Amino acid sequence: MSAREEILERLRRKASNVEMPGAWQSQRNFPDLAERFTASLTAVRGEVRRAENLEAALVEVGTILEEVSAKTVVANNESPLSDVALAERWPECAWHIVGQSSGDLREFCAGADVGLSGVEAALAETGSLVVHSGVGKSRLATLLPPVHIALVPVSCLAPDIFTWTASRNQEAPMPSNLNLISGPSKSADIEFTLTLGVHGPKRLVAVLYE
Amino acid sequence: MTATLSEFRQRAKTAIEDVRLQGALDGGTGKLWEMRRLTFEELPNSDALRDHFKAIRSATLRNLVEHLETFEKNATAAGANVHWARDGTDAREIVISIAQEHGVKLVTKSKSMATEEIHLNEALAEVGVEAIETDLGEYIVQLAEETPSHIIAPAIHKTRHEAAELLGRESGRSLSPDDLTTLTGEARKLLRKRFLTAGMGISGGNMIVAETGSVVLVTNEGNARMVTSVPPVHIAVVGIEKIIPTWDAAAIWLSLLARSASGQPLSIYTSVITGPSRAGDPDGTGEVHIVLLDNGRSELVGTKYEEVLQCIRCGACLNVCPVYREAGGHSYDSPYPGPIGAVVTPLLLGRENYEALPHASSLCGACKEVCPVRIDLPRMLLELRADQVAERTIPWKERKAEEAGAFVFKHEKLMRFMTNAARLAQRPFSRDGKLHLPQRLNPALERQLPALAKRSFREMWKSGELEEK
Ligand code: SF4
Repeated sequence: MSAREEILERLRRKASNVEMPGAWQSQRNFPDLAERFTASLTAVRGEVRRAENLEAALVEVGTILEEVSAKTVVANNESPLSDVALAERWPECAWHIVGQSSGDLREFCAGADVGLSGVEAALAETGSLVVHSGVGKSRLATLLPPVHIALVPVSCLAPDIFTWTASRNQEAPMPSNLNLISGPSKSADIEFTLTLGVHGPKRLVAVLYE
Repeated sequence: MTATLSEFRQRAKTAIEDVRLQGALDGGTGKLWEMRRLTFEELPNSDALRDHFKAIRSATLRNLVEHLETFEKNATAAGANVHWARDGTDAREIVISIAQEHGVKLVTKSKSMATEEIHLNEALAEVGVEAIETDLGEYIVQLAEETPSHIIAPAIHKTRHEAAELLGRESGRSLSPDDLTTLTGEARKLLRKRFLTAGMGISGGNMIVAETGSVVLVTNEGNARMVTSVPPVHIAVVGIEKIIPTWDAAAIWLSLLARSASGQPLSIYTSVITGPSRAGDPDGTGEVHIVLLDNGRSELVGTKYEEVLQCIRCGACLNVCPVYREAGGHSYDSPYPGPIGAVVTPLLLGRENYEALPHASSLCGACKEVCPVRIDLPRMLLELRADQVAERTIPWKERKAEEAGAFVFKHEKLMRFMTNAARLAQRPFSRDGKLHLPQRLNPALERQLPALAKRSFREMWKSGELEEK
């Protein structure tokens, strides 16, 4: 008998059908999702900048790029970034637009100062960003550079993880890689003292716009 | 790896006499425990949520076969290769053959207890494959040629001086123990190089989700993201009990896990891997393998020990356990220390090798109360002891004590009375908050336990009082 059959056969002999409890209903009712998101992400050392519209959000992005003296930036080619002429807007930076620029993406990400992305969703309770892999969406762009800037429209905020999973489209396939990002990379492995950026970005800035 | 009565006793004694280790254990576990309390306070209806989750875990285990088959079907449809391993030998062979097929010489690993359970790193080393642990704590422990001593804080026993020396030796620089930013910066550089050159990444799996065939990995550092996205091949080794049927249920798992483990509302990174990169993905892994590890788990289904399979490995029970907090993780000599380790280690890794572990408990019940799945560890510790008595695997002297112990525990009122009586009776033997019992009064382990607090753990727990003892 193969290992598979052996294991499954043993389990089959002992199986019984017990009713599975239903989904847990979110108990959260935040009066202001954006406010809660901001408070939660800030509490875990993430940063949130608020903007009135996409244009104002892009101005914020420019300010951050300047703050960190960014010279090389990798940007995912996704909403809302795909509609922005990034390289024209910030010609002082060298850009790699995922799926468009030539050159080795991994190498570029490993040397980039900033990774710029959109999000699929964001969770207010925990200050989390949901990012997917897919066409124009690099996994490494939000992981390898020391700074990750994410453009987050207020309309994509869900109250918490339970409302988010409940709203999941069961027909749509999962991306090969999905990440819930709830703060900058953090470690407390040496004497329980917090340090940032041990593997992932040490700065995470969400630019939240209306 | 073993923990006989005398080995456990000896190692615990060494740990108790190590003043620095005692400080680290007290401080570290105390901090995690307090942070856990704060996040649970903030979570509405958390008691009902825990009950709900226990019902899900219990129902899932009752029909593991159906969920595993669903998982296999969906993971395969997403392009992952699903392998089944009866035991450590099977699992090691599967991993080694994939490594050899790809000519891999260097593997980066993200913290995984299942691979420690089957000694995968040693097996890889034997065939010339170097495996580097990438969780900072695990990396430090690996550089020191030691084993982790806490489920979620593997280097809880190491000082920053030791970390500075180990990392300094590796990077050829002298590093100051007082500058943690430079220290972790150095680790980042060292490990970055490894990530970018490794031929394969190996991870465990915090859970696997049947409805989408996904592997879920949770870290704060982001090393699991690295391991599963940078090298061309990814292997996840996961115990078959880590399955959850749906994303609705997985959300509860994630929420309870982060809160119980470290008092975070969610861990920094929750990574969901559903097969290898798709057409159009700009980067990622070309191959994903999932090794479903049994290694004794299916034997436990349907027995009085089935409940132990509900564990989500959060480590909360370690932080509240008076024995773990004194004896430290290494006394157990198992990848699974603390109360959960005392139950699951003998069951998965051989009762004959770990005869002491069912006794490494004061049966105070704090583990059960803190557990997000409310696993009745004290009950199973007693079952294991009773089995030892029935099978006559421990000497007569201990057996007598155990019989008495089991009898007392089964009669709750009597137990409460005995605990109170013990508090009075210990007075003559209690010094510096430690209990020094004359050996003839304390036959089972001749252990030196922390003296029973003026109020029991259980009483303090119930009243919400959580200060350090
Ligand atoms: S037994 Fe409970 S508290 Fe202990 S590690 Fe498992 S889930 Fe956490």
